[in-house]
Amino acid sequence: MPAPLISPSERDYITKSVQANLRADGRTRLDYRQIVLETGLISQTSGSARCRLGEGTDVLVGVKVEIGQVDIDSAGNRGKVVCNVECSPSASQQFEGRGADELNNELTQALERVLNGAQGGLNLEKLCIIQGQQCWVVYIDAIILDSAGNLLDAIFIATRAALFNTRVPKTIVQDLGDGQFEFELLDDVESAERIEGWDHVPIGITLNKIGSRYIIDATPLEELCTEAKLVVAVNRKGHLCGLQKSADGGIEPSLLTEMVQTAKSLGQSLIKQLDDQLEREEIDFNARRARGEHVEKLGFFAA
Amino acid sequence: MDRKRIAGPELSVPPLFDKPQIVPQELAGEGRPDGRSPEDVRPIFLKTGLINQANGSAYIELGNTKLACAVYVLFFPTHCSSAFPRLITPPPRCSYGPRQNKKQTFSNMGLLNCEFKFASFSCSKRRGNQRDSQEKEYSQILSEALAPAVRLELFPKAMIDVFVTVLENDGTASCLAGAITAASVAIADAGLEMIDQVAAVSAVERSHHLVFPQRTQSFAKDQILMDATSAEEKLETGTLVVSYMPSANEVTHVLQTGETEGPVTVQAIEQCIDACSKIYTVMSAALVESLKEGERPRV
Repeated sequence: MPAPLISPSERDYITKSVQANLRADGRTRLDYRQIVLETGLISQTSGSARCRLGEGTDVLVGVKVEIGQVDIDSAGNRGKVVCNVECSPSASQQFEGRGADELNNELTQALERVLNGAQGGLNLEKLCIIQGQQCWVVYIDAIILDSAGNLLDAIFIATRAALFNTRVPKTIVQDLGDGQFEFELLDDVESAERIEGWDHVPIGITLNKIGSRYIIDATPLEELCTEAKLVVAVNRKGHLCGLQKSADGGIEPSLLTEMVQTAKSLGQSLIKQLDDQLEREEIDFNARRARGEHVEKLGFFAA
Repeated sequence: MDRKRIAGPELSVPPLFDKPQIVPQELAGEGRPDGRSPEDVRPIFLKTGLINQANGSAYIELGNTKLACAVYVLFFPTHCSSAFPRLITPPPRCSYGPRQNKKQTFSNMGLLNCEFKFASFSCSKRRGNQRDSQEKEYSQILSEALAPAVRLELFPKAMIDVFVTVLENDGTASCLAGAITAASVAIADAGLEMIDQVAAVSAVERSHHLVFPQRTQSFAKDQILMDATSAEEKLETGTLVVSYMPSANEVTHVLQTGETEGPVTVQAIEQCIDACSKIYTVMSAALVESLKEGERPRV
């Protein structure tokens, strides 16, 4: 299956509409499509979330925490984050067979680079159970169910929400003397805790440069017209946590600086909105459960 | 039984201490171990024509970072032959003749196929023979950084192969930067039409309050170190690689990791752009040099 092509007239139409700040679907350059976000859909995971952008892009992220060995290279007191992104062949014919390998690797590396390390926000030292021996490994697996542009932003939004939803079982470490330790897992669901620092997890904003201007949340047609892409990872404090250019085009230095600034303010306000919404929903959920009501998930057919 | 000896326990484990982060003496000071100032890059050695079999090649050294790059042009540009005097008559013993794009799909632009590989002995830890995910990613970055400079629209259905082998890694970010610089020179050496040369440079951002918590007072300012060695990279809080076309005034790639405040990164990008302009003169000199030797037989 060859990569999709775009006709010169379509390209011209999109480039001019970006210049005029009115896109084909009525958005301005810096508007997101409607974001649908739901957490806790998958019971087998420690935390999960699904993010849908408009009528298209659909990403499901499952977080699983498992006990693993501490890396010997590091100080021996850190947990690990392992990311994986997979494009489901059902999303596009292009992803069939080995077609998605390159994209999978690109998205996985982009996610891993931002989340693995100090800039990822998660307090990895708290994930260590016994120093030098065992720790929690946070596996973040994203599946692209439907692809209609701007995959990476959707992955980041869903990952952040899934980490909000993640609960890690409590452990009690016993000192057996002689420098030997043993730990016990508490299976009490209520005592399981969030991973410390989830709120410092950054999100990524992808800016697509079309003509001399740039847009966010591009549709597939707009992505085909994109000369250069800039992914900017921003956390709640407005700090930059990663910056990467992709696609086959260049950016002038002055525009680059402007794009970074725009992404920073956009990212910060988006994080705030998402956090408010997630927290409001959780309070609502807990209140309804306390009243003994059955809370139904919207599931996969949510708008 | 020897009663004089104190019998230890049968099983013992080394004690665990709260290890303070050990900063090697030479890295703890204000200066850099090799006496460079923070904005200095390491001396660069750049020469074309290392690999005879290739249509174009370049070898670059950035201090101890050493890498080789070869470009194979798998097409025969009849329609724009005047621009490619070298390619009209392919070298007689050239192992690569004109070839079609290996992928079966049609592309109305030429494809830039980059392969970035760390030699298995190049890093402190041995690398496998198979390309790992980091190498695959670097390959992709390399092609994205070079694509804006090469006039790919001139060769539909064709493929340009760029192979980079890192021989010695003294700073992973500098390997990527060196690869972009060398590949750009190698493509020019192969005689392909380009808009401009792409120069690349790496930098690390070091927030001293993170590395030396006890010395916040004297190291309040974040430092940007250009072209860091691997010893300096270990202490970084963020790395940055910028590739830039000086004449066209376009940034072709940016890759930043680590958490920084916005202004620091913006300043670092500006510093990198300045350094790229300096590297550009080295690249031009290397290409002029290769033309002077010009009449040397290729292959």
